[in-house]
Amino acid sequence: MAAIACAGVVPLVTSAYILQLATDILTFAALAYSWNVISGCTGYLSFGQVSFFGIGAYATSALVLRAGLPWYVAAVIGSAIGGASAAVLGTIMLRLRGIMFALGMLGLARILMVVSSNWDFIGGAAGLILPARLTPVAVYFAMWVTVLVAFALNYFVLHSQWGLSVTGVRDDEVAAAAVGVPTSWVKIIAFILSALAPAAVGGLVAWNRSFLDPPSAFDPTLDLQVIVFALFGGIGTLWGPALGTVILVIVGEQFWAYLPDLQLALYGVLVIAVVLAFPGGIVGIANKFGWLRRKPVAAPATFPIVTRPAQPAAAGNDAVIEVRGLTVRFGGLVALNSVSLAVKRGEMVSIIGANGAGKTTLFNAITGFVKPSEGGVYYQGKLVSAIPSHQRARQGIARTFQIPRLMESMTVWENTLLAARNGKRATAAVDQAAWALHTVKLDSLWLELPNKLSPGQQRRLEMARALALDPTVVLLDEVMAGMTRDEQGEIRAVLRHFRDLGVAAVAGVEHIISAIADISDRMIVLDRGKKIAEGAPDAVLRDPIVIESYLGKVS
Amino acid sequence: MIVLQLVVNGVLLGGTYILLAQGLNLVFGVMGIVNLAHGSIITVAGLFTYWFVTHTDQSPLWLIPCVFVAMLAVGAVLQRLLLEPLAKLGTRRELLSLMVTFGLSYVIVETALNFFGSQYVSLPNLQETWSVGGLAINEALVAAGVLGALISGCLHVWLHYTPSGKALLATSQNATGAVTCGIDVRRMRGISFAIGSALAGIAGVLLILILPLSAPTADTLTILSFVIVALGGLGDYKGAVYAGLLLGLVQSGVGYYLGGDVEVVVPYLLLITFMVLRPQGLGQAAR
Repeated sequence: MAAIACAGVVPLVTSAYILQLATDILTFAALAYSWNVISGCTGYLSFGQVSFFGIGAYATSALVLRAGLPWYVAAVIGSAIGGASAAVLGTIMLRLRGIMFALGMLGLARILMVVSSNWDFIGGAAGLILPARLTPVAVYFAMWVTVLVAFALNYFVLHSQWGLSVTGVRDDEVAAAAVGVPTSWVKIIAFILSALAPAAVGGLVAWNRSFLDPPSAFDPTLDLQVIVFALFGGIGTLWGPALGTVILVIVGEQFWAYLPDLQLALYGVLVIAVVLAFPGGIVGIANKFGWLRRKPVAAPATFPIVTRPAQPAAAGNDAVIEVRGLTVRFGGLVALNSVSLAVKRGEMVSIIGANGAGKTTLFNAITGFVKPSEGGVYYQGKLVSAIPSHQRARQGIARTFQIPRLMESMTVWENTLLAARNGKRATAAVDQAAWALHTVKLDSLWLELPNKLSPGQQRRLEMARALALDPTVVLLDEVMAGMTRDEQGEIRAVLRHFRDLGVAAVAGVEHIISAIADISDRMIVLDRGKKIAEGAPDAVLRDPIVIESYLGKVS
Repeated sequence: MIVLQLVVNGVLLGGTYILLAQGLNLVFGVMGIVNLAHGSIITVAGLFTYWFVTHTDQSPLWLIPCVFVAMLAVGAVLQRLLLEPLAKLGTRRELLSLMVTFGLSYVIVETALNFFGSQYVSLPNLQETWSVGGLAINEALVAAGVLGALISGCLHVWLHYTPSGKALLATSQNATGAVTCGIDVRRMRGISFAIGSALAGIAGVLLILILPLSAPTADTLTILSFVIVALGGLGDYKGAVYAGLLLGLVQSGVGYYLGGDVEVVVPYLLLITFMVLRPQGLGQAAR
């Protein structure tokens, strides 16, 4: 409240200079918050968010000049046009990753600059003169509205259950898809959210300057400044962009008067210094003292113990998962060669085989992370080969990864909650996550980060994540590897009553045969991409072909 | 005839482009990072060459060995101070090293602006045009193209036929494997950045012979180099040769038929279209 009161008083009591300074701070804060959504929270580093600033500036100007709309209506529509263009451009740009996306965005801003220079309707290279319509005070208040919207969007992304999907995409896109996150959609929505405020700011800045031309609309140095501010405050944090902007704009204002030509060079030095000395920014430093820490999303004050009566999965003898004639080639390498197998309702099937037998590729094909070259994957009788991974997860095909792929910046609780959401209402998701964590006995560690867990606990968290999806079938990829005897015992105990948890079938890839032989109903042996044996564990393990595959031919 | 002329120009331009890209490629191969300051090193070397030639009246070609040695040292220092500290940061390394080289590019470009100004300059040397069978062949284009290709050839020989070069190539192909062979990977990172910077420096000396440069061209050159490297496959030295020639040809054709405005954005358009169409076809980049 105090801040809002101060905000209202600034234009009434101070000089034009202070008003301009305050407007500058708000302008950059809005841009820094928007950049933070796509680059900080979603992990897609962009060097070209100025594209949306320019699109908004041109859209707003054209709406006022050519359509005669009042400026505030034009600013809102301009912002919407920015968001719409992000939706369209996002479908192309967000297929790029890492450096490709970063430079692709830089290139996009350049392309837009050339396009606008050659488009006479919006003034071409000469630019547009915009008649004075806005008083500085109006710009100031409009900027406040924009900043608050941008801040609210950051709050939403960082503190809502939906926002967990965004963090999931940043931490590990593959694992996110495996727990049902529609990653492409999440990225496009985040991209749209990061375009709204820059587009509005672009329009306001253009009218404030009374002039708009391609170099000022698509100025690449604007992105440098925004990145410096967000980085200095703390990337991907709620308060970082505001802190960084306020401090650096005020300090800079004093400083640049003496060194007008070196401003951008010094910003460059600052970026390097911050990355090397304190990459977490001011918020990162504050966190070390326990301040400004992010609270886990939707975490109750104490761990909510949720117990459920046993819900045995429906009985039946149909195949839950079936692959027919599945062949997967990577270039010239045939990883799977016409493999057919089925996992029936109520079964626990182990798939064994030496390294390179194609076990993990089989799981990747079933869950949709690898495209089969030939053959099909059927789930409860339906062909699912064309369905994307996240939808297969949502329909009930859960998996764990050979090397645990946990979201490193999310707590144990949030990791599980992300999987538990799966289209549920917020309270149901919280219950589901609590139940899954309780089932694998991780309740006491629920607020830890995954890197604080032992390897065995990390695998249990992977299992909790799989259970949280309410799966029909769970695919366990070497869930016992690297575990101590005791830890293996704990996992085995959970596996034994999986059926009571509503899981209809389990398929496990395993190397430690002694740990699974007695709990498996059936064993399937793969050797260099082919199925060589199948049947009851005792029989399979005595099969001379299987022994030869593992130990070599005995002459 | 025009087509043949464009092809000759394109191939010669491509020769320079190969050199432009190999420095970036080397750094990416060994260190796994894209040096966003690559273009600014090229530009500053070019602007320095212009300054040197206009003040001393010497041939710019004398500068090649001097710039090579100087940039070798500068590159080694920059790597040790700015990038080596990030090497142990794990997953955040890519993002942070991009930030650092992004910041570095601004430091270099803005400092250059203060020294050299913002106007475009090009060297008046080697402007003779030879007429060969009806083709007009520009002397500077030949010098830059042939020297560029030649120096890239030297890099190839070094990488494949000398112990130190082989060690670097091994590190670039598999750093963990290189460690087990007793290669000092940390030292290789330093060497790769030093040589990468030195190659960028020479590329700048050659480029000012054929293209007008100014401090703000740095970004375009970074992108241009990156596009060549990406088209050829990140970390693939042979692929970059083909990609460099291809881009030289495309730009010479587009520049003639569609004009300079479009020519400027060709690298960006190629970057986006190619990577959207073949995101997985780029070797290590598609992991």
